[in-house]
Amino acid sequence: MVLEGVKLNLENMLAAKDNAVTGLTKGIEFLFKQNKVDYIKGTASFVSANKISVDLLDGGKGEVDSKNFVIATGSEVTPFPGGGIPIDETQIVSSTGALSLQRVPEKMVVIGGGIIGLEMGSVWSRLGAEVTVVEFLGGIGGAGIDEEVAKQFQRLLTKQGLKFKLNTKVLSAEKKDGKVILKAEAAKGGKEESLEADVVLVAIGRRPYVEGLNIAAAGVELDNRGRIIIDDQFNTSTKNIKCIGDVTFGPMLAHKAEEEGIAAVEYIKTGHGHVNYNAIPSVVYTHPEVSWVGKTEQELKAEGVKYNVGKFLFTANSRAKTNLDSDGFVKIIAEKETDKVLGVHIIGPNAGEMIGEGVLAIEYGASAEDIARTSHAHPTLSEAFKEAAMAAYSKAIHM
Amino acid sequence: MHPTLRVARQPLIKFLGKRIYPSTPSAPHPHPAAPAEIKSKFADFVKKVEASAASSSTVVQSNGALKEFWEAPERLWRQDIEQAEIDAILASLTGGASLH
Repeated sequence: MVLEGVKLNLENMLAAKDNAVTGLTKGIEFLFKQNKVDYIKGTASFVSANKISVDLLDGGKGEVDSKNFVIATGSEVTPFPGGGIPIDETQIVSSTGALSLQRVPEKMVVIGGGIIGLEMGSVWSRLGAEVTVVEFLGGIGGAGIDEEVAKQFQRLLTKQGLKFKLNTKVLSAEKKDGKVILKAEAAKGGKEESLEADVVLVAIGRRPYVEGLNIAAAGVELDNRGRIIIDDQFNTSTKNIKCIGDVTFGPMLAHKAEEEGIAAVEYIKTGHGHVNYNAIPSVVYTHPEVSWVGKTEQELKAEGVKYNVGKFLFTANSRAKTNLDSDGFVKIIAEKETDKVLGVHIIGPNAGEMIGEGVLAIEYGASAEDIARTSHAHPTLSEAFKEAAMAAYSKAIHM
Repeated sequence: MHPTLRVARQPLIKFLGKRIYPSTPSAPHPHPAAPAEIKSKFADFVKKVEASAASSSTVVQSNGALKEFWEAPERLWRQDIEQAEIDAILASLTGGASLH
């Protein structure tokens, strides 16, 4: 097959994105209807522990009395500290604006080398932008990533053309002649440097969102990071108000909130529920994808746990080689004494799908040998998972 | 797998199966992802929760009636309306003529 004249149609690409978002949102509304959930569109504010008032989107006000409330107001983009880099969502953007840029910027600077910064940065890099990621810490990938994976991740993204400035602190941003001029210096202090960009993405994290909720009226308390304080049954400091998701403790992930939502309702109905925070997967949707679940080597060393590591490279995997997409590896960490799987870390093709097997292994308390003695179809990427498990408890056979 | 291995090997994996909970609610504990300073003050948190339960307004009316349907025993909750019932109601709106 010979393809000629292939070019980007950004307008169509963004329309496809909007279509996907709309479809999924409508899907949720459909599920509400199907399950007889009333959907009141508006901004809620507690009047008391048993009553909220709602400023309706269509105008007017409403009130809702309830025996139980579940707060799930999520999070918002953390602005740059000190307000020095105000987001306008066209030239200085958050992840929201980065999803709707009207043209591919020639130069893009991403402030923050965490998951969102890398996902957005790598998208625009693949579309042709020259992307520089500025990160305050000494590694990319954010909290919870295994250091070995983070280093390989940086190597692969660098090979794709992304540039990284680690241990670097952004000081300010100034708009000038259609460009943004960033001032930065070494995180520990040092010589100041300037970076020029057409678009700057501020991706330094997200913070809990409770604006306008008037939680004080309900007696709900926050911690010093603005998160709603809860116990393991999702109770806030007010008995009948529970809380789940980004606005409280734990990783800010949709699937974590989903587990919590079900558990919170189970607690209301039965007094029992279940969320295993050690078995919540994280995925970075770049190419290649990165995913992990459970403990990193660094965490286990800090805890004094003895472990074995099994690693298998995708370069030795039949399907990855056939697809010419063989960057990365699967790494399985198992407890030395019992062989129980403690952590799974993947960088490579299909990592976001493959991590499901690792989550299941951890949830069920599987050993590396349990996985290794389970048949995996040939030729598939999942064979790399089996081989890594074999390497953890004994020896991989295809490497 | 060699036959002797099949006999000898005991998988570590535990199939959790259907969850069966005791009839009494479980006691609350600190959230596993809470920071240490919050966990260390958990007893104070529990006191606040209990105090809020005592002070929160009741939804049971003074005459003993329940305000919300879910406070009644489950057998008294509103039932799903079956299609046949909807059809029957629609039919009655048309003057009682059967749809069938």
